[in-house]
Formats: sequence, structure tokens, C-alpha cells
Amino acid sequence: MKENVAGGAGRAAERLPRPATQQPIAVRGRGRRAAGDNRAAYAFLTPWLIGMAVFTIGPMLFSLYLAFTRYDLSSAPEWIGLDNFRRMFTTDPRFFDSVDVTLTYVLWSVPLLLAVSLGLAMLLNRGMRFLTGYRALFYMPSLIGGSVAVAALWRQIFGEEGIVNKALAAVGIDHGSWVGDPGSALYTIVVLQVWTFGSAMVIFLAGLRQIPQELYDAAAVDGAGPVRRFRSVTLPMLSPLVFFNLLLSVVNAFQAFTGAYVVSNGTGGPSDSTLFYTLYLYEQGFAQLNMGYAAAMAWVLVLGLAVFTGLLFLSSRYWVHYGDER
Amino acid sequence: MTTTTPTPRAAPPRRPRRLLFGNRPTRSPLLRALVKHSVMIITLVLMLYPLLWMVGASFRPDNQVFSTLGLFTGDFTTDNYRDGWTGGDQLNFSRFFFNSLTLTVLCIAGNLISCSLTAYAFARLDFRFKKTLFALVIGTLLLPYHVTLVPQYILFNQLGWVNSFLPLVVPKVMATDAFFIFLMVQFIRALPRSLDDAARIDGCGHWGIFRRVIVPLSIPAFGTTALFTFINTWNDFLGPMLYLTEPGTWTVSQGLASFLDATGQSAYGSLFAMSTLSLVPVLGFFIAAQKLLVEGIATSGLK
Amino acid sequence: MRIRSAAALATAGLLTLLTACGQSLPDHTEDELRGQGEVSGDIRFSWWGSASRNERTNAVADAFEAEFPGAGVKREAADFGNYFKRLNVQGAGRNMPCVTQLQARTLGDFTDRDALLPLDPMIESGAIDVSDIPEAVLDTGRGPDGKLYMLPTGAAYDALMVNETLAEEAGAPLPAPGYDWEDYIDFLRRADAGLPDDIAATSLRGGLPNFFIAYVQGRGENMFDGNQLGFSKELLTEYWQMWQDITEEGLTNSPAANSEEPTSPEAGYLAQGDVLSDNRPGNALTPAQGTLDGAGEGQRLTTLPLPGGPAGPGNVLITSGMAIPRNCGNVPTAAAFIDFWANDERSGDIYASDNGAVTNTRLLQRQLDDPELPDLKKRELTLYQDIVENDPPIVLYPPGYMAVFESAFTRAYDDVAFGSATVPEAVDTFFAEANAGLAS
Repeated sequence: MKENVAGGAGRAAERLPRPATQQPIAVRGRGRRAAGDNRAAYAFLTPWLIGMAVFTIGPMLFSLYLAFTRYDLSSAPEWIGLDNFRRMFTTDPRFFDSVDVTLTYVLWSVPLLLAVSLGLAMLLNRGMRFLTGYRALFYMPSLIGGSVAVAALWRQIFGEEGIVNKALAAVGIDHGSWVGDPGSALYTIVVLQVWTFGSAMVIFLAGLRQIPQELYDAAAVDGAGPVRRFRSVTLPMLSPLVFFNLLLSVVNAFQAFTGAYVVSNGTGGPSDSTLFYTLYLYEQGFAQLNMGYAAAMAWVLVLGLAVFTGLLFLSSRYWVHYGDER
Repeated sequence: MTTTTPTPRAAPPRRPRRLLFGNRPTRSPLLRALVKHSVMIITLVLMLYPLLWMVGASFRPDNQVFSTLGLFTGDFTTDNYRDGWTGGDQLNFSRFFFNSLTLTVLCIAGNLISCSLTAYAFARLDFRFKKTLFALVIGTLLLPYHVTLVPQYILFNQLGWVNSFLPLVVPKVMATDAFFIFLMVQFIRALPRSLDDAARIDGCGHWGIFRRVIVPLSIPAFGTTALFTFINTWNDFLGPMLYLTEPGTWTVSQGLASFLDATGQSAYGSLFAMSTLSLVPVLGFFIAAQKLLVEGIATSGLK
Repeated sequence: MRIRSAAALATAGLLTLLTACGQSLPDHTEDELRGQGEVSGDIRFSWWGSASRNERTNAVADAFEAEFPGAGVKREAADFGNYFKRLNVQGAGRNMPCVTQLQARTLGDFTDRDALLPLDPMIESGAIDVSDIPEAVLDTGRGPDGKLYMLPTGAAYDALMVNETLAEEAGAPLPAPGYDWEDYIDFLRRADAGLPDDIAATSLRGGLPNFFIAYVQGRGENMFDGNQLGFSKELLTEYWQMWQDITEEGLTNSPAANSEEPTSPEAGYLAQGDVLSDNRPGNALTPAQGTLDGAGEGQRLTTLPLPGGPAGPGNVLITSGMAIPRNCGNVPTAAAFIDFWANDERSGDIYASDNGAVTNTRLLQRQLDDPELPDLKKRELTLYQDIVENDPPIVLYPPGYMAVFESAFTRAYDDVAFGSATVPEAVDTFFAEANAGLAS
């Protein structure tokens, strides 16, 4: 078995620049296997199927039903047809504010997060001493996550008396609070998100470790420079995880909640400048007790994200390379 | 290999190992290392400033937490650690840490087992409705969890599970965390299928392939899943707040939240002290799991 | 096959949920509704607060358990913000704790949904004794139907908190008792003239609902008329214009600084010595002074009643208390617990007015008579007594007060402060949003 793998990797390396797309061992008996897979597959899926049926599908369908009702969390839900959706798109300016805030946040935070996490993962992959220590230290911000302490910490950085303003003052620039100003508050939360890049970095790091060194060696023998090696070895080999991180960070950014909740103390302030979509949804559902409206908002988000992820999955055929492709 | 003669491999030119800067002419490796490490350290200090500030604040008297400007200025005290740890008869952080650790271990075990089984099926097996079911996995990722909170609460309340770990653990055992299914699917799909085929030739069934090929080769994925589950569970506040209401069952994140209240006396010093301590287990786990992430390939017999 | 069984399971799950919503409540007997019966078995009790309050609350619950050996109290605490969100979820599951702490400001959310048992029958039967609670205070726990749904146990109030030392240094004498809004602004002006540049005379509080309530009371208008706003647009326009004027004059801190201010009293600007005065809860005096002591400059804080107006004083009471939800299965024990909390001397001594002054006058006097009562705490309690003596008006808060009214009020004023709306625009937006939100 070892022989097989080493040989496979070696041969793949000879086929640069698309090493990951071809595997040497011939396909056989696919039809026979597919027939046998049904039972095995559902055996493997049993826990998930039960969990899905009991804990996920029920509540999901229930929330879908609630989207067409008025529900104050106490009285029985009252069917009101499309009223929630009508209100969302016609008479609720805060809904559009929250969409605006969220889109801005997605456009800034996703590319930054991916670039920073991939860059650092490559730096921290190999070729340096104390890597273990560095990795742990770079990961530390992600550990604190959405702790209640974060609000206080963020004021120490972006507040009126924060370290950023002190640095600016040292070069003669006088600036007010960054977290307290509606013009900049959202961007401090973008920074918060990018600051906790650790999870995406770890996924990239694990992916980088899976790339056989032989591919780089072969590329080097071919005289490929660092840029070419990145484009022809690293990116294609890493593409399933780039895809994963891209998809997940987009979904997470659209559902962003904790950062804004902690920093703005749950208000989405100042002046609704950090009123994220889910923060507004949460306020509608759990504070104003319009759970029907909150459910409607949630399903509008699901539809939006479904279109987006659908497109992403379609596009993945052209740029994501799996080891299992033949 | 034990002789002093350099092996051909170790001789210059050095193996080009680095991904980005490997090909640059290396006039003085020492100087280069120095520059690299300095850049790293400066970046780190900038990045870790908020955490350093927190550690500094945790050693200041409660009423000076915000009033001094530097990192480690003001009077020095360890009172915050003592007061924070024993917040009262029922509210003791040793209890909270114990609760959090128990919960975390259960959730990790649940996620690892259930999500890897599920992911194997989606990544490697062909079956009817595969596409539909996988779309369902992704679909559950898209729904904001706040909106299923209430129906789930009603369900768990009906089952009589409120005020126990069950509502937080059982769903994990049942692979409801679509994120990790998706993560593992991506990892497993990146493994060459030739390995499965080889094992099949050796007479392995699906279970054998899963156990002997996929699991050992997916150690990095398992490490990642365990790490993220650890962090998510450790930091989760909403779930424990709803389901673990009695202070005796509180987790660390609830204990931390209990230091602050807009309507009464808050204890920022204790908050920062206990926040600092609460990072220790996660950091320890990260350092331990990192070995899995990094050495996964090496120990799995691929090389 | 499996798909079909999964679908069946899903349907079953959904049905469980749907029926759960129509879940029936316990049928209470006449006796139970009067709080009569054996005091035994477990009850759940929930409150909001931080670690220090949790400790006191636990001690009172322990004392109750010692008094009634057959009864047990299961405790549930959370911080103020999360507390009510959790209560709402528990309410959806008909799983609210038997003794639930509420605030008069949130009472409407629960009476509106008919989630609470009236306490009057329990008072008539003698299960809960209210003879030592002043009528004006007791009335803050009534619903729109006049029945008592929450027994007020602690009464808080907002006060004008002033850094006496700074005022003295700036040469501004504190406003005299009975002062009005003009006197208040004069005070700010005089102080501003003598204050260092980086210390504002007041925090910018145009968006703080409690301060505006005082303004409305002083003018003799009503906060609410049923589920609608009771005051006029003109009044709010005038009020916000006043704040805009003094902001332009430089008497306040900046809107950005204001919106990043931490909510807990000991972390606020007044406690840091960064502003001269602020509207703060009266019981924040002790923690705020604690932080100020840490700065080591020997500055002292004091509290004054809020400014009044032609119609009288501005202060209103903000009471918290205990309620029994309809889903409670052990009403007699719940009633006994509330009675113990409100009347027992151990309870009064242990809790020591941690969440507003204790409403029981006998217990309050005990605390005031205690020679070891710290001066600041004494100031908190005596100012409360002064306010009660003036027979403060009672505001009947409509359902959604905190979630709709307070949040819209602060937001609308922020728009003014940050210059994205004029005062009349903000007033219009606020009236439209608040009236629509409160009505639904």
C-alpha cells in the first residue's frame, strides 16, 4: 500500500500543473459497487438521519410555518399569509439597513479573512524554527471568540482613549472614537472578525500538510519559481479547502452575530450602524416578540444564501480539484 | 546515517522547502532568520495587544482596571484571581471549569464519531438521494440558528431535558453539526481514491476501508474537528444559558457573564482574571491537537 | 425505506412541536390560587444580577429553605440583558420559574400574554403580607386591569449623580432642592466655565428614556395612553432641541464617546472622573465611587433627585419584584417564598437593598438604623425615602416598552446626535415607530 501511494504521488507530480486531478489506479466495477453502496451508506448515515429528523427538520419546518404567522412566543401562532414578507420589503426601513450593513460586512471581511488566513498558514507551514509556538500564539485571538470581555478589549483598541488613537496622536492626528462612530463602527467589527482568523488558518494548515512534498520537489526540478509553485501546486491541491473556507466564511459573515452583539451590547448601535441581519432578526424575535417576522427574515436569508451557495457549487467544477476525481 | 559524513541529501543546495520565499539567494541564513523572526514577533505583539492588555488588567485592583493607561501599570494584585475563582458558595469556578470540560469532552466525542461516519458516506459512497441529502446538509448550514432555538427549546422541554447536558450533547451525537460533516467531506474527498481501491483488493469492506484507511488518513480532519468543537463548546453562551440554568450546572462562559450586570455591581477585574484562565485549557488543547494536525500525515504511513 | 421512516419521524417531531404550543397549563384549585396549601417541594426561582448579587440572593434562598425544611429552591440567574430573552423562551415552552423576578417596565410583556397569576387572592388570604409596603409602591406592580401581578420588593430610581469635588473646583454650587431643568442647565453652564477642557459638564443623555420620563412628569404630561405614546410631539421636539443646544454649547461629551460607554456604572465616565455629572441609577453610587477611589484623587460623588418642572418633581420609581407564572405547579410554596422575601428580617438584612431600596418600610428602617450602614448606601436609601414622600407618579408601561420604546428612543436621538436627522425628522420617525410597535 505504501508503494502504491508513493508511486501515485510521484506520477502525479510528473503531470504538473494539474497534479491532483488524475489518479493512476484504474476504475473498476463501479456499477456493481454503487448497487452495494445503498445499504452501507444508509447504515453510515443512521445517526445523522435520526438527528436530522428529530432535532433539525422539525424545528426547521416549524420555523418555516412560523414565517407565515404572527407569533409572540406565547399565544398560538396566527396565520397571516405573506404579511411578514410584505412588511419586510415595503414598510420596514431597518430591514434594508440591516441588509446593507451585512452586505458591506461580507464584502470586506470574507476576502480579508481568506487572504490573511491563507497567507499565515503558508508562513507557518514549514521552514522556520519555533513554528509550534508561533502557530499557538497566532491562534490565540480566536480562542477568546465572543467572550463578554471582547467589548472591553475593543474599546481599549478602537475607543476614544484606545491604542489606535494614541498611535495616531503620536503622529499628530486627532481622531475620535472608532467604535462609537456610526461611520467606522462596522469596520472595527470587520477587524474583529479578521483578527479571529485562526479557524480558517488551521483548516488551510491541515490542508497544506496533506500536499505531498514530492510535488514541490518535482516542481522545483522543473525550475518552477515560488509563484508558479503556488499556482500550480498549492492552489489546486488546496482548492477543496479554499472552497470550504470561502463557502463557510460567506455563510458565517451573512449570519454574523456575536461580534456585533458583544461590541454594541446587543443594540446594533450606534445609530444602527452595526445592525447585522441576524442581530435584527434576534431583536425582532426575542426582544420585540415578533417571532413570525424573525422566522420570515430567516427564510429570506436562507433563500439568498441558497442561491449564492448554489452558484458557488456550480463554479466549483471549474476550479476545485478533488483527489477522488477520475 | 550515524557517521559524520554529510549525506547527499543534507548537502547544499538546500532542499527548497519554503513555499514563497524558498528560491531567494541566501547570503546569510542567520540574518534572514533574524529578519523573519523579528517580523513575526512584531506582528504577534500587535495582534496580541488586546490579550496582553487583558492579562495586565487582570492583575490590577478592581477599581483601577480602566483608569491606568499602560499594559502593566497600576498597583499589582492577585486578588482578582482569588475573588473570581471563589465567587460564592454556589458560584465557584472550579465547578464551572469541571462542567465546561465534561460538556466539551462529550461534544467532541459525539462530533468526531457521528460526523466522520456521515462524511464517509457522503464522500465515498454512491447511494440514492445522495445529492438531495447533501443539499440538506448544506441547507441546515444556511438557516440562522436563532430561529430554530424556540422550537428546539419546546421540544427539549417536552422531553424533560431542560437543565441537563442532554440538549447540548445528544444533537452532537446525532451529527446535527453540518459544518463538521462538510469539513470532513472536504478532507476525505481530498484523499486519493486509489487507497480505497487498494484496501478493497485486500478484502476490506466499507467498514474496513473507513476504519483502516479513511480514519488514519483523516487525522488532521479529526484534529481540526476536535479543536473547533472544543472552542465552540467552550465559548458557547446561548445554549448553556437556555439549558443549564442552575448555577451548579453553569459553564465557564456563563460564569464569566455573571461578573457583569448593568443593574448592579460588576467585577471587571475578576472578569479579566477568569477570562485569562479560561484561555488556558483551550490553548493547551490547541497545542496538543496541533501535533495531530501537523504530524497527521507523517504518522499515517503515507511517507 | 429509510427515507420514508425519516420523513415519518420528522412529521412526528413537527407534530410534537405544534401540540406543545397548545400545551395546557396546570389547573389550579381555588385554594392554590389563594396561596393556601402545604409549603413543601421544589420551586424554581429566577433573578438577574452579577456574581455579588447572586451570592446575596442565594443566601436568602438558603434562609427560606432553613425556615421551611420541606421546601427547596432551585435557582436560576442571568445578567439583565440575557435574563429577559431567556424568560421569553421559557415562556414559549410554558416553563417559566415559579417565582420569577420582573421589573415594572417589563411587566406589561407578561400580563399582555396572560402569563401571570394575580396575587390579590393570596394577599386576601394572608399568604402574602403587604401591610408594610407603601400603597404607591405596591401599585407599580399592577397590570392594566388593576390586579396585582408583581409584588414590588425593591425600588430603584434614577438620580442626577454629580462629582462634588469637581463642581466645587469649577465654582459651581450644586442645584438647590426643587430645581428645574433651567436650573440644571445653568449649573452645567457655570461648571463648564470652570472645568478643565477634557472634562464635560454632563454625559450626552438625550437618548436616555429615564431622563425624558422625568421631563414628561415635570410637565404633567402622560408617558403613555394605553398602548400609544401619551405625550405630545412638541414636548419631545423641545426636549431633544434642548440637548442639541447644550451639545453645541459644548456642555456635553461627544456622541461617539457616549455610545462607546460601558453600561455598568463602575466602568462609566462619571466613575472615571471624565464627566462632571450624569443621570445614573441611584444605587450606582457605591460602585461608581469605588472606581473613583481607585483613581486616587480623592474625588467624591453625590446624588440629587432628577430635575422637576411646573407640574412637580420628575422622579419616578423603577420597581422590581416577584411574580408567579400561570405554569407554576407549586403556588403555595411560591407564595410563601415571596412573603418570606418581602417581609422576613433575615431576607432584608442579607439582601441589603441590593437591587433598589427594599420596599418594606420596616425592613428599610432596620437597615437605616444599622450603625454599620455605609454612608453612600445610606444616601441611596434616604434619597429613596425623599422620593417616596413626594408621592411619585406611576407609569403604566405598555407591553414592548423596553424592546420597542427604549430602543427606538435611543436610536432616534442617536440619529440627531450624529447629524443624520434633524430633530423634527427624528421625532416623526420615533413617533411612527413607537406607536406602530407598541400597538402590535
